[in-house]
Amino acid sequence: MTNNISIKGTREGLTITLGQGELDPILEELGQRLQTQGAFFRQGQVALQVDNREMAEKEIGHVRELLVAHEMLLRTVITTNIITQRSADALGLRLAEPPRPKETAAPHPQIETTTPRSSDQQRGVLVHHMVRSGQVIRHTGHIIVIGDVNTGAEIIAGGDVVIWGRLRGIVHAGSSGNREAVVCALDLSPLQLRIGDLIARPDEDDDDQSRTPWPEIAHVQNDAIVVEPWNRPTRGT
Amino acid sequence: MPTRVITITSGKGGVGKTTTTANLGVALATLNQRVVVIDTDIGLRNLDVVMGLQNRIIYDLVDSIEGRCRLRQALIRDKVLSNLYLLPAAQTRDKSSISPADMVRVCAQLRGECDFVLIDSPAGIDAGFRNAVAPADEFILVSTPDRSAVQDVDRVLGIIETEGRGTTSLVINRLRADLVKRNDMLDPAEILEMLAIDLLGIVPESEEVLVANGHGTPVAHEQRCAAARAYHQIAHRLLGERVPHEPLLTRQPTLLERLLFWKRAER
Repeated sequence: MTNNISIKGTREGLTITLGQGELDPILEELGQRLQTQGAFFRQGQVALQVDNREMAEKEIGHVRELLVAHEMLLRTVITTNIITQRSADALGLRLAEPPRPKETAAPHPQIETTTPRSSDQQRGVLVHHMVRSGQVIRHTGHIIVIGDVNTGAEIIAGGDVVIWGRLRGIVHAGSSGNREAVVCALDLSPLQLRIGDLIARPDEDDDDQSRTPWPEIAHVQNDAIVVEPWNRPTRGT
Repeated sequence: MPTRVITITSGKGGVGKTTTTANLGVALATLNQRVVVIDTDIGLRNLDVVMGLQNRIIYDLVDSIEGRCRLRQALIRDKVLSNLYLLPAAQTRDKSSISPADMVRVCAQLRGECDFVLIDSPAGIDAGFRNAVAPADEFILVSTPDRSAVQDVDRVLGIIETEGRGTTSLVINRLRADLVKRNDMLDPAEILEMLAIDLLGIVPESEEVLVANGHGTPVAHEQRCAAARAYHQIAHRLLGERVPHEPLLTRQPTLLERLLFWKRAER
């Protein structure tokens, strides 16, 4: 028996940690452990801790099925791996971060905060590549893309969306109905822009080619989506 | 030099995959490369027609895979170039008749026997496409200069890149420089910016290609028209030579224009 699996009881339920290595033998061993020690764990909610392991939807699905077979419910996935986070998110599972010992929840003492936006405490995912047509980035928190988002691509975020590049695809910020979310891009030219439950699309007679791209931010004002340019530097300031 | 297996694909149909495969095959063979072109559009085969070999087909790709013949028996030698062979698709079956593993096996047999295997992919991103891309080390994406085709190439690139497959490059086909000038057609620079891919070559729109396809003699057999020259340049680039991309003229220039334009282009 390897030390690849640990099952710990916590206040919220169980945390099952999977170590490194091929997934199939690990799942098999997990199955055996649940079988022999199972009665103790039944009816529990489970958080799956996988650190930086990359897992596809299918693989998380296997774990979920295995747990269901032992009358346990997989609720949360704890991971630092972006692909795994996306897979978990796509399956409707909650995400949590591995506990970091020095982390404090209080804001930095030297920054004056007035009323923090409710989304400021949300998690975010950062994607450092171009998003091509047909690809979808979906996350319950914020999404940041370093790269272009092409016409046939979709970005769907529960929080804000920041595109360090050209945004040409479909973007939805505040996808769970939050109108406070914003969308920023170096070149904001989406096919369709949605914030919360509002939808906007670019002017049909807007000739893309003549415009010099400038960073812009889209947000909701008076029940409509408005787009504002980033402050242009003026001479003398 | 190990055999290079290159799949020519696009996503969108009708942009010139088959024409490009045929002409590149001819151009490479003219440069003394041993080339096998494979048509994987099972049920809707066209490569044989474009190469004028349709009445020489006895066995095809599916026959070979299903063991009714040896691979060699299904290869058809080109009418003109003795180092160019066609492995035709089947006409009376469909894409589900072969699998990606079958294609990998076929290409494995061809590796070592030739310098280039060019695979003509069907349109789409489904089973036919998957069969065509399975054995490839490199991909040539073909697009016409319009948003639909470019978006489809983008989609295909997304699939190829996510799977960590081989190198990709782009052929822009049927470019009309006059329309680009009038802003009625996408500029190659815009296309490259959108796709973030290397440019292999630009083939201008040309009546000669249409006519040649009908006759079954790919234009690359001669080098007279602009399209043929483009295919030959692409072949040279595939062989690692640095061939600068030509400036595009919209019609045959007069002697005076030719002198002036030539000077401008040289700057």
